[in-house]
Amino acid sequence: MDKNQMMERAEILVGAVDDLPTIPIVATKVLQLLDDPDISVEEIADLMLTDQVMTARVMKLLNSPVYKPTQEITSLKRALVYLGLRHIRELALTTSVINAFDGTSGALELNSFWEHSFGVGMVAKIIAQKIGYQDLEKAYISGIIHDLGEVFLSNFLRDPFMEVLEYIKTHPIKLVDAEEKLLGTTHCEIGLSMAHKWNFPDSYCDVIAYHHNPGQAKVDPVLCAIVNLADLFCTVRGLNYGGREWISFNLCEEEAWSILKNESPKLAQMDVERFCYELDDAIPDVTELVSAMFAPS
Amino acid sequence: MAISDKDFEQLRDFIYNICGMYFHTTKKYFLESRLTRRMEATGAKTYQDYFLMLKSPRGSEELKFLMDEITTNETYFFRNVPQLAALENKLLPELVEIKNKMGFRKLRIWSAASSSGEEAYTMAMILLEKRASLLKDWIIEIVGTDINETVVAQAKEGIYNAYSVRNIPDAYKRKYIREDNGKFILSPDVKKFVTFNKLNLYEDSKMIFMKSFDFIFCANVLIYFDTASKSKVVQHFYNNLQPYGYFFVGQSESLHGVNDKFKTVHFPGGFGYKK
Repeated sequence: MDKNQMMERAEILVGAVDDLPTIPIVATKVLQLLDDPDISVEEIADLMLTDQVMTARVMKLLNSPVYKPTQEITSLKRALVYLGLRHIRELALTTSVINAFDGTSGALELNSFWEHSFGVGMVAKIIAQKIGYQDLEKAYISGIIHDLGEVFLSNFLRDPFMEVLEYIKTHPIKLVDAEEKLLGTTHCEIGLSMAHKWNFPDSYCDVIAYHHNPGQAKVDPVLCAIVNLADLFCTVRGLNYGGREWISFNLCEEEAWSILKNESPKLAQMDVERFCYELDDAIPDVTELVSAMFAPS
Repeated sequence: MAISDKDFEQLRDFIYNICGMYFHTTKKYFLESRLTRRMEATGAKTYQDYFLMLKSPRGSEELKFLMDEITTNETYFFRNVPQLAALENKLLPELVEIKNKMGFRKLRIWSAASSSGEEAYTMAMILLEKRASLLKDWIIEIVGTDINETVVAQAKEGIYNAYSVRNIPDAYKRKYIREDNGKFILSPDVKKFVTFNKLNLYEDSKMIFMKSFDFIFCANVLIYFDTASKSKVVQHFYNNLQPYGYFFVGQSESLHGVNDKFKTVHFPGGFGYKK
């Protein structure tokens, strides 16, 4: 199907939803402030404190075993000092996206959705490091938000999306291809339409739209390739929405692999087998992080 | 004996670099218990003493004993479930399609360290289930080989204990296994697809005659070989595969740095090596 037609259909579907969750203005402002090199931790903390929901979740995330503070962190300012300014962007954006969908129910189980997303974030960051990509944090956030469109489909197109999920159980095709076939659009176009509404920066929009075909990316094909590969690895190593999708891939035939090898030729020597086994070992950290975020206060 | 996370990682890296087997963190407790046995057997007082000995020139002998302990040297039916699922869902249908186009309806599978035959017979059961559909009118040949004559004889006999058959799905068990006084006897329907022979993987003159396989399995054996032998044996496997064939090693094993001709194909819970 034509990409433009799929985009038009996505715009219509997203536009038709009156109660689409919003990203707090505070999050957008934090992102803008962080572009200012002279910004101080105090200024950021003051701004974040105006959003209680965001603050609560940031604190919960920080005290989770993944960040492993030696003692409990009770003030936001200490938290931000502990983490450093670079991580605030990550926290502001991810906590807002999570808050936007918290408590909603849809065809997908929210915990396994976030486990996949955070898993892709984590793996994207590792791959970014391996190839010497300049912004590791951006790779991490990109991983976390890449499948946003799925949450929309799951919540607002529940029944047709259930049919898609049923369809892939008996047909060996990728979820994204089943969406195109049955819905006339995919989570990529839907996600892009949402990202535009939420004024996401261009490179994140690019990842959401092109993480399944990084070669077509407009802004940052390398970032899209990183997320694509992280997505593939997570899907075959257990972070796959609870076994929702059966995929297989041959690394040599993946466009993302060529893009990244071009970027960093030493990637060809990577011990992919060990990488997979280490990824298995990291899964408990990811599930722990997600359950910490959703634990009742 | 409990060892620190750092010591665990050190030992894991050592085993991985020499043997090509990765120890998942979830298996730390298991590794510790097996380590205790080996420390008692060698008289090593502390873990550090044991590790130093393992790294020393006489360590290669001890490493074999340790690998024996940690691979448990036991086998059972339907052992590597992700691998079997990949074969059934994807790799076998793809292969059948290719061969159908060529008009060549013959399937050859090799279990290259077949031990008492569980892996080879598992394949036979899975393929038998496809006899009425995907593999209708196909010739199926499954070959099991092992260096140890005793286990080859056991494999030919096809009689198992409860441990070996515990993972067989009920539907298969009802069809292909008969219980008699605590023994589990394999149906002749399954046995007739499989032949077993003694074979030493080091013996080049024999290896070159193991031709034209579609799938080759070799689990928990290459970990005992040094890199040069490993490369040589894997090259034989590569040569012995059909152009579209697959080679599989055991769970947690890796061929990284052993052969650069195979392409790694990933599927849920595992990977295989494609020619």
